[in-house]
Amino acid sequence: MKKILLLLLVVGNSFAALAQKKVEITFQTDGVCGMCEKRIETALLDMNGVWTADWDQETHATFVVYNPKKLSEMDLYKAVAAVGHDTPKVKAKDEDYAKVHACCKYRDEEVVSAHHGG
Amino acid sequence: MKHFFLGVAVLSTLSAAGQIDTSLYNSLQIDEVVVREEAAGLTLNAKSATLDLNISRKELKKAACCNLSESFETNPSIDVSFTDAVTGTKQIQLFGLAGKYAQIQVEMTPLVRGLLANSGLNFIPGTWVQSIQLTKGIGAVNNGPESMTGQINVELLKPEDLVDAAEAPGSEGRGDILLNGYVNQGGRFEFNEAYGVRLNDKWMLASLGHFSGRQQGTDMNGDGFLDNPLGYQVNGMLRARYFGQNGWEGIYTFHALEDVKQGGQMLSAFAPGTSAEDLWSSTMKQGRLAFTAKTGWVNPDLPDQSVGTILQLYSNEMDGAMGNSTIDPAHASSLYGLQNGGMAQVLFRHGWGTWSQTSGILLTADQYDFDFVQTDLGTTMGWMEVDLGLSTEWTYAPSDQFTAVLGARYDWNSIVSHQVSPRMHLRWEPVEKHTLRLAAGRGFRNALPLVEEWGRLATNRTLRSQPSSLYHVLGGSYLNMEEAYNIGLSYAWNFTLNYMPGSLQLDAHSTEFGQTVVQDYWTPGQRYLYTQFTSSVEPIRPMTSNTAGASMTYQINKRTEMRLAYRYQDLSVVYRDEFGIVAQDVALPAPFVPKHRLMAHLSREFKGGWTVDATLQRYGEQPIPGIDPSAYPSVEMAPAFNLLHGQIRKAWAGGDVYLGVENGLNVRQGNAIDGAVNPQTGEALMPSAPYFQSYFDATRIWGPIFGRMVYLGTNLVL
Repeated sequence: MKKILLLLLVVGNSFAALAQKKVEITFQTDGVCGMCEKRIETALLDMNGVWTADWDQETHATFVVYNPKKLSEMDLYKAVAAVGHDTPKVKAKDEDYAKVHACCKYRDEEVVSAHHGG
Repeated sequence: MKHFFLGVAVLSTLSAAGQIDTSLYNSLQIDEVVVREEAAGLTLNAKSATLDLNISRKELKKAACCNLSESFETNPSIDVSFTDAVTGTKQIQLFGLAGKYAQIQVEMTPLVRGLLANSGLNFIPGTWVQSIQLTKGIGAVNNGPESMTGQINVELLKPEDLVDAAEAPGSEGRGDILLNGYVNQGGRFEFNEAYGVRLNDKWMLASLGHFSGRQQGTDMNGDGFLDNPLGYQVNGMLRARYFGQNGWEGIYTFHALEDVKQGGQMLSAFAPGTSAEDLWSSTMKQGRLAFTAKTGWVNPDLPDQSVGTILQLYSNEMDGAMGNSTIDPAHASSLYGLQNGGMAQVLFRHGWGTWSQTSGILLTADQYDFDFVQTDLGTTMGWMEVDLGLSTEWTYAPSDQFTAVLGARYDWNSIVSHQVSPRMHLRWEPVEKHTLRLAAGRGFRNALPLVEEWGRLATNRTLRSQPSSLYHVLGGSYLNMEEAYNIGLSYAWNFTLNYMPGSLQLDAHSTEFGQTVVQDYWTPGQRYLYTQFTSSVEPIRPMTSNTAGASMTYQINKRTEMRLAYRYQDLSVVYRDEFGIVAQDVALPAPFVPKHRLMAHLSREFKGGWTVDATLQRYGEQPIPGIDPSAYPSVEMAPAFNLLHGQIRKAWAGGDVYLGVENGLNVRQGNAIDGAVNPQTGEALMPSAPYFQSYFDATRIWGPIFGRMVYLGTNLVL
């Protein structure tokens, strides 16, 4: 009986371990359009250890599920900033921001209002 | 355009402007569904009242080659098979029933119909296709009476697809020129082109071009016959697109094609000195010219109100011969056919909140002329078929959870006079992501039995018909009407497991024919054609198909997608026991339809633009006509077999290169052609040989003729 309990405990633990491998996080990311969405999501999905990534064009929320053993929260911000998008903890360098397409210039009021107005 | 719309039909691009989804020609589409480009290639439209699968361009790339008939190779709902071992014609089956019982349309106009019922699928190059909408079960009533098992609508590349791609931010002008080249181990080559250009803010033009052929013959099974016919296809389309002001738009298309196929015995397989005139051959030349004009209008003040018109004029021609008319005239036949016709349709849609209606008038007219030559059976005949249909369809969608569509059409047909076809679709989503659908309705068509089964004349079986005059074997008689009732129930569940999307789908469909043209192969040495009705004494349906299927898709992780499907098909046909051996009509399974079908598909993307996918198809045992001359019914079972297809693709911004294999397990049907070789010596026989004359039959085909086949192709996006 004890052995069975022990076995259950081990099995249960390993399931828990499987579940623990994934961590959910949501953070704000500046951007405007569908092109931005694709750029942000691709940057994250291309990383080993990212299970899924989704950027919401309306709320600007980025939802990421990742494996904390393979990468840190900071790595996510850095990856997004590296393709030119600002996150709460890492801002995109000017030279990376310069690379984003003209219609994605989220720091430009005119571009942002054009997207909302249109 | 980052996204495209599902279920969009002819006038869909009214919604390209972004505000309105007219879906004028498919009112069952309730909402536009936006699919991300990276989404699965095969998607179920959750909001539609019908069971609609959308097959995207991405999914079509997984098909090895080359045209519409082959684009269903990764689809669990549709089977693809050869009609015979010499003409190279591929046909599809839905619910185990021939593709002719599904309504196959190109942008809601007929193509795979009339003279092209047998071959039309081969005339839509895969690279021209933008997307395919497959409806399982009876289709929308406004599109015509001919949908019985389902509806397949193919949307081709339109000028705006190409122009928008090139004008999209970040595309750097790429996308308005698409080029494709393909070559395979069987000697087939192919070249495709698509080019779009904007003339001004109202007009755009596009050209679609195709050239393919096979000049080098192969005979892998050593029976003296070519595995695939030689020949070529030239196919081209010019399209003009108009987006006007105040909700007007139009698309005008000119289509021309010529296809030549030459199959049969290979001269090089016989002793030196043999002349081509001594051999068995099959030739078929087909051509088409067509012009289509579609114009639509959406009321800018009332987007729920729209009108669409289609006008199409076409001329289809076929000229074929089979056998050797000098050496063995008794078993040779030739068929010339000409179909000149057209269609005109007006559709009007109006919506009031939870209610909407679409009504239409559809006029089709076809002048057919045939010249059929076979010993004892030669005949020349022509007739005109006119059909005027009125249809209306009412949709009630009180909430997101429930949709009811009730429709009916009345057709006056010059051959079968008054016909009424009611149809019904219900969709209920009692719990979010769990959807139930029920569909039922009637459809009818007038068959052209010899044209539709031309390849099945590649046999020395005696062709017989009942009544014995041949006129109704060609078509045009009331006896050629085929009529069926279809009912289908399905359940779909879209789930998320481990953050990844998946779906489960269960469906059951039953199709019962009230009248059908039976192709009877069960009497040895004969092929017998006749019409069966539901008898008023014994209400047994002449043909029934009962199928049940289960399929599952799941994205295992961000780069891996899998698909599993199983389908059970039970088809029964009531045959006449002409010789009174069992002294009554006898119900037998339909030939060439396996009872069990399985499919497994796996695709995985890798970094750097690499994609690998594999599809395993299992065909269960299937009944085929037997050769035992003393048996009736003479039924044999063909063995079960597996087909494995695979492909590796490397993509760049400017295109891709793909290398693939079809039939990777190298499965081949032994003795694909009866009577072709001397059973003792194994040498190929000529049509003059008595053994050949007695036993030749290339129609008992149940599996692949060519074994493993490797292919290589490339797409360039300029």
